Amino acid sequence: MALFRWPSAFDPFASLRYMEREMDRLLGRGGFGRDVFAGGYPPVNVFTGPDDIVVQAELAGVSRDDLDISITGDTLEIKGKKESGADEDKVTYRMRERGSGQFSRTIVLPETVDADRIEARLEAGVLTIRLPKAEAAKPKQITVG
Amino acid sequence: MADKDDKAMQVSATPARQPAETERTFTPLVDAYEHGDTVVLEAELPGAVEKDVDITVEKGVLTISAPAQVAEPGEANGGTFRGLAGGRYYRRFALSDEIDRENISASMDSGVLTLKLPKAAQARTRKIEVKS
Repeated sequence: MALFRWPSAFDPFASLRYMEREMDRLLGRGGFGRDVFAGGYPPVNVFTGPDDIVVQAELAGVSRDDLDISITGDTLEIKGKKESGADEDKVTYRMRERGSGQFSRTIVLPETVDADRIEARLEAGVLTIRLPKAEAAKPKQITVG
Repeated sequence: MADKDDKAMQVSATPARQPAETERTFTPLVDAYEHGDTVVLEAELPGAVEKDVDITVEKGVLTISAPAQVAEPGEANGGTFRGLAGGRYYRRFALSDEIDRENISASMDSGVLTLKLPKAAQARTRKIEVKS
């Protein structure tokens, strides 16, 4: 689950939310704002290993068909659309926190990757993208002669 | 993209597993809406597997508890940027007397838990015919 939700630039309550999050952190609760789309959505993890880079993103309720993942150079872009499950005209909302709409997140990768061998999987609302490093970016052992 | 295991999820009456002191607790984001005679509750539980989701109704309190799992790629891959972590989803809701507690159904799809809470017979909307 997202560790924090960053307040957006035009949010008049940004400092209040920040305080709330800090309080949550001090009290040991998961800091959690209410704006799904404020700042970085989806929340991501980036792991770098000797052979590949792994990017994880949390996309609960987003279908595979609504996802558009692309790579240009070392810039990875995750775009998509989050739809609300209900037919909005026929229902009466009592609570609404999940949010819906378009989202896009760009991640500049720490190394060059082989764009042809990228694999992406979406499972239980978690997207995992495995990006194998380009040969040139892999670490090489140097022997002292 | 339905989960492969399509068996009905259980809503039990035993106390839900409380998050441990050391566990990071997350409050799942929830949408709740009325659709006809049913209240639908959708909770985001990304990374939770259907069989590990604990839903209980006890003394009029509905509890959702599930492990939030983030499958990290292993030792070799160091964390360059971290925006999400594992822990436990935990949230409780007080049910009104309108809800028929015996007939709550649950399903899980792409990280979203959907609970259908039917209204009890006496709380259903009835159409009243005007006799001429």
